[in-house]
Amino acid sequence: MNDYAVEAKNLVKRFGDIDAVNNVSLMIPKNSIYALLGPNGAGKTTTISMLTTLIQPTQGSARVAGYDVLSQADKVRRNIGVTFQETVLDDALTGRQAMTYHGRLYRFSKAENEAKTAELLAMVELEDAADRAIKTYSGGMKRRLELARGLMTEPQVLFLDEPTLGLDPQNRTKIWEYIQDLKQRKGLTLLLTTHYMDEAEQLADCVGIIDAGCIIKEGSPKELIDQMGKDAITMIGYGNRERYLEQLGQLPFVQAVTTAGPITQLAVDAGNRRLAEVVTLANTEGFTIEDISVAKPSLADVFLKYTGRQLRDK
Amino acid sequence: MNAAITLWNKQMSKLSGEETFGLLIQPILWVVLFGVGMKGVMGSAVPGGDDFYIAFMAPGIVALSALGGAIAGGSVWLDERMRGIVKEYLVAPIPRLSILLGNTFTIVTKSLFQAIVIFVIGVLMGAQIANNPPGWVGGILLVAGYSIGFAGIALALASKTNDPGAYHAVIFLLNLPLLFLSNALYPLSSLPQWMQIGARINPTSYVVDGLRQLVLTNGNGLASGELLPLWQCAVAIILFATLGMWLAYVAFRSAIR
Repeated sequence: MNDYAVEAKNLVKRFGDIDAVNNVSLMIPKNSIYALLGPNGAGKTTTISMLTTLIQPTQGSARVAGYDVLSQADKVRRNIGVTFQETVLDDALTGRQAMTYHGRLYRFSKAENEAKTAELLAMVELEDAADRAIKTYSGGMKRRLELARGLMTEPQVLFLDEPTLGLDPQNRTKIWEYIQDLKQRKGLTLLLTTHYMDEAEQLADCVGIIDAGCIIKEGSPKELIDQMGKDAITMIGYGNRERYLEQLGQLPFVQAVTTAGPITQLAVDAGNRRLAEVVTLANTEGFTIEDISVAKPSLADVFLKYTGRQLRDK
Repeated sequence: MNAAITLWNKQMSKLSGEETFGLLIQPILWVVLFGVGMKGVMGSAVPGGDDFYIAFMAPGIVALSALGGAIAGGSVWLDERMRGIVKEYLVAPIPRLSILLGNTFTIVTKSLFQAIVIFVIGVLMGAQIANNPPGWVGGILLVAGYSIGFAGIALALASKTNDPGAYHAVIFLLNLPLLFLSNALYPLSSLPQWMQIGARINPTSYVVDGLRQLVLTNGNGLASGELLPLWQCAVAIILFATLGMWLAYVAFRSAIR
């Protein structure tokens, strides 16, 4: 039981008639990074809100850092750090003030508070801006400050809701470095949500694909990608697609055929070698290929397979 | 309590030079412009004549400022809710009640500051202050109670709505009768019967008459018989403060968990 930082069982959250979260169960081992991957409105933020005691589940139960989110909410709060999807900083304060007032809410002594603030501001490279008003900060700086604030109280579990949303590549990479460092050096457990495929792939030990309030597939990025076959052939074309796909499915080297809108995707054993055969078959079956490519499968392909939709990197 | 004090401290530290100037200048303008402008007209209605009008109306401006402070404090809370800043407090291991208290303390602090400014200006303009320092403390407590009551109402409204426009519309509806349906600017005895009844259920009347007896006694030209008895003032304000906090507490409980 104590090997898990987060144990959620059959969480349901209903808002009126809408099931924002519909039966989500999560087991996140200590000192690991779990990424909830899904499109906007999939239920990521609602799940996090239940685990961080902001809202109460309609059904189901959860333990975070060993404490029940309903009956031991105060203990959960004492052991978690959270950053929210939207920036929740008081613009009129300086970075340093935002940190120390936060620390005071957790009853830190003055010396402890100042030391922690200095250490964390240094970690997120905001020492130079620490005494400026937050309204002068860039989006990336605000995110880094929020991350530092979330760490102020030495949480066991850190929740990051879309930590890199709207950040430029440089700031994203920085945040990724901090996240990996936190897991390795401080032994933290992190639950993050993202709709960036590459982010989940880079960071997570385990990825849960969430869509319409349900986790539809879970596994390490490697497992998930390996299931997709060695290579993925992706193509778009017109003609008698149905018949063509049927024929493709019968080829021995084709492991899976997936379609999503106009896109067809094949999982094959060796893309470069099989490309010619795939094209030849198209010609004989009266299907005209407009665009075709071979790539190593990625989480994006996994997502496409399980949701039948593309999750755009936007 | 630690959390309430932290939140109070945080709000107070955000007080900018501009806001402080605003807090100072608004009541000064009321006393100076309205007081001087109206005393010629109103003075005849006030027992003792127009020289006493500043002492007569200064407590009303204290009440008005406390109202304004509560409204502003409610907007700050609404803004924190809308922008999600409140989530920072909600994931912290602090009692929910401390968020309410922190906001209330902030509103009361600003109102007391304004009250003191108004009395100082009033005295500079010729009002006479009671030679009774314990009475001043009582006056301060009355202002605090009145301010707590309104802080509660404003915070309750700001917890219940998600629309700043609706919040201000409702508050504005409350604001006018609270000031004008009271004895703040004219004596009770000069009002028609129905307005007197309204004024007697308005907490503003009680804080104002309390201050007239405790702080600006001499020189407002009122005999003690024309004022609401002090014990009634105290009871009314205590009830009002309790009611405000209760409303806010109920609204907070439904708005945040």
